[in-house]
Amino acid sequence: MSAVKYGSIILVSFVIIAGIAIPLVPSPQNWLEFPVIPGLEEKARNIFFHVPTAWTTVLAFLVSMVYGFRYLRTRNPDYDQKSVISAGLGLMFCILATVTGALWAKFNWGSYWNWDPRQTSIFILLLIYGAYFSLRSAIELEEKKAALSAVYAIVAGLTVPFFIFIMPRMMTGLHPGAQGDSSGGGPLFQSGMMAGNMRVLFYVSLLGFNLLYVWLFTLRLRIARIEDRQLLSRHTEQ
Amino acid sequence: MLEFMMENQMYIVLSIVLLVWAGIAVYLVRLDRKVSRLEETMKKES
Repeated sequence: MSAVKYGSIILVSFVIIAGIAIPLVPSPQNWLEFPVIPGLEEKARNIFFHVPTAWTTVLAFLVSMVYGFRYLRTRNPDYDQKSVISAGLGLMFCILATVTGALWAKFNWGSYWNWDPRQTSIFILLLIYGAYFSLRSAIELEEKKAALSAVYAIVAGLTVPFFIFIMPRMMTGLHPGAQGDSSGGGPLFQSGMMAGNMRVLFYVSLLGFNLLYVWLFTLRLRIARIEDRQLLSRHTEQ
Repeated sequence: MLEFMMENQMYIVLSIVLLVWAGIAVYLVRLDRKVSRLEETMKKES
């Protein structure tokens, strides 16, 4: 576990330092220079911080779905706990992706909110997972709560790939990779706009944020298990 | 403020990094509060 903990701290710190310190030059000559991306300039550095939060959201929601599925198969309350913890972390990263995206949008597209397909779809995801927690808090019986929210987590998880990977690419929009975008599949994969060193730093950032998610997940899980043990001991005393 | 940030775009990046950090910090503070509550109940029970 300490590898995850220190790995996430080191990688995210490295990305913050390198992402901010490496200079942008019109024609990079060496590995420690980023090219200037027209229209983005210094704002291109946001890619290392905004996109990984959105990616971690997807990971967390999919993990929540997998544990929902495992709960329904085994009825083991541990899986329900993991499912809800992952959904909570996903919601936090989803809010972060929305807020950082809105700030970036203000300076690149002119206003905080533009109802671009990707902005709309992340807003719907926020609503879907907000409803997940309302559903949980509305049910008193633990088993019923776990079963219903597992089913909800599966259905909600199934919508995530459509909202993140499919819908924003089928429609015209402001985000890179939207339908009709001249750069093709977005700056990341096909267009060659993102230089090799930027790409490496971006993947390091993804890894760092994913490790951070795993660390927070286990931290939250350990606390939940102690809470459970306390509840159990109180019940046996009575 | 907005004009200043438009001219000095590095501050936009700084704000975004700070926002991400703020979100994680809020999560950690909430976890901390949970642990404190657990410690409190454990102290009472022992």
